[in-house]
Amino acid sequence: MSTRRFVLASACAVALASAIGATPVAGQSKPAAPAATLPDLTGLWDGAPGGNTRDLAKYMKSQGQTIPFTALGAERYKKVDMAKNPNAYCLAPGPSRALTGPSPFFIVQHKDVVSFNFENHGVYRVVYINGKHPDDIADYPQFMGHSTGKWEGDTLVVDTVGINDRTWLDSYGLEHSDKLHLTERFQKIGPDTIKYTVTYEDPVFFTKPWTATLNFVHQKDRLMEYVCNDNEKDRVNLVPTPREP
Amino acid sequence: MKNISTVLAVCGSMLLTAIPIAAHHSFEAEYDRTQKVTLKGTVTRVEWQNPHVYYYVDVTDPNGTVVNWAIEVGAPNGLYRAGWRKDSLKIGDQVTVEGFRAKAGGPHINGNSVVLANGKKVFNGTADQTAN
Repeated sequence: MSTRRFVLASACAVALASAIGATPVAGQSKPAAPAATLPDLTGLWDGAPGGNTRDLAKYMKSQGQTIPFTALGAERYKKVDMAKNPNAYCLAPGPSRALTGPSPFFIVQHKDVVSFNFENHGVYRVVYINGKHPDDIADYPQFMGHSTGKWEGDTLVVDTVGINDRTWLDSYGLEHSDKLHLTERFQKIGPDTIKYTVTYEDPVFFTKPWTATLNFVHQKDRLMEYVCNDNEKDRVNLVPTPREP
Repeated sequence: MKNISTVLAVCGSMLLTAIPIAAHHSFEAEYDRTQKVTLKGTVTRVEWQNPHVYYYVDVTDPNGTVVNWAIEVGAPNGLYRAGWRKDSLKIGDQVTVEGFRAKAGGPHINGNSVVLANGKKVFNGTADQTAN
């Protein structure tokens, strides 16, 4: 990469990180300070029954909302080939789909990091509390992105960038670009319930940010292993297939 | 038999609650919902492995030819949580399987339900909810 491009990318990443940190939540003039006693999110969690976010367009419609596609986003969504679901190729599901999909995950909370250990594909996310995105993260995007977090009152707010464009946001062909920026909020609203809010921003695919909300329920269970390539034999049988309307 | 009883007990409730069994691929890209088939035969092999449990059934066609069919079901983790165990189906079991044929053709289906020779339904999958 040229020096000029590197400097430009670094400046953009810093500006982006700065803007993210300065962006107030709608309806709040100033982020709340961390609560004196933080809730403990540690444990095994999974989506609440009935909160079907595997198909985000349908889910948003059930909430009286639509996904604000750009022309390109709408075209890609219309023409997506279901045979190209990245999961079928045993690739990492991406930071938000790992949470909104139907597999449990184990959260380990520490004062400096919050770790998400996903059963699905055995992948992880590390959220660096009060951390900073690498200056060059835009040049080295990852399947699961790079996440920083902060506590606003009793809510963990996670900021994620540096996500490559090879994952889907759901199981039904909702694609995105590597400009995707996620803001996620985790609020424990009961001993066994976390309210999860995820805001998707991607100027390539969406005309404006949009937000999905669902609950996670504590699971009295164990995290199990999932090695996708152990006995994978479906890939060769996949045929080009449009998404069902 | 103890495990089978456990599975039956759990699956009885599954019929009402329709627990989703996740798949790593899109159902529609591999199987045809319009081609529902019923197979009767003998279990020859069970593969309790990710990303999907597969089992195989010898089916004798009207001409007397034996064809070994592959039946894909959910991931081991989801099946385990739903009450299925690796010996829920055993080699030699006589079964009736319902499922949907693979678009690519061949003796290959996505299993939706399997019934033992004594009429007990071992598992009732949710083939329309298998996209992870």
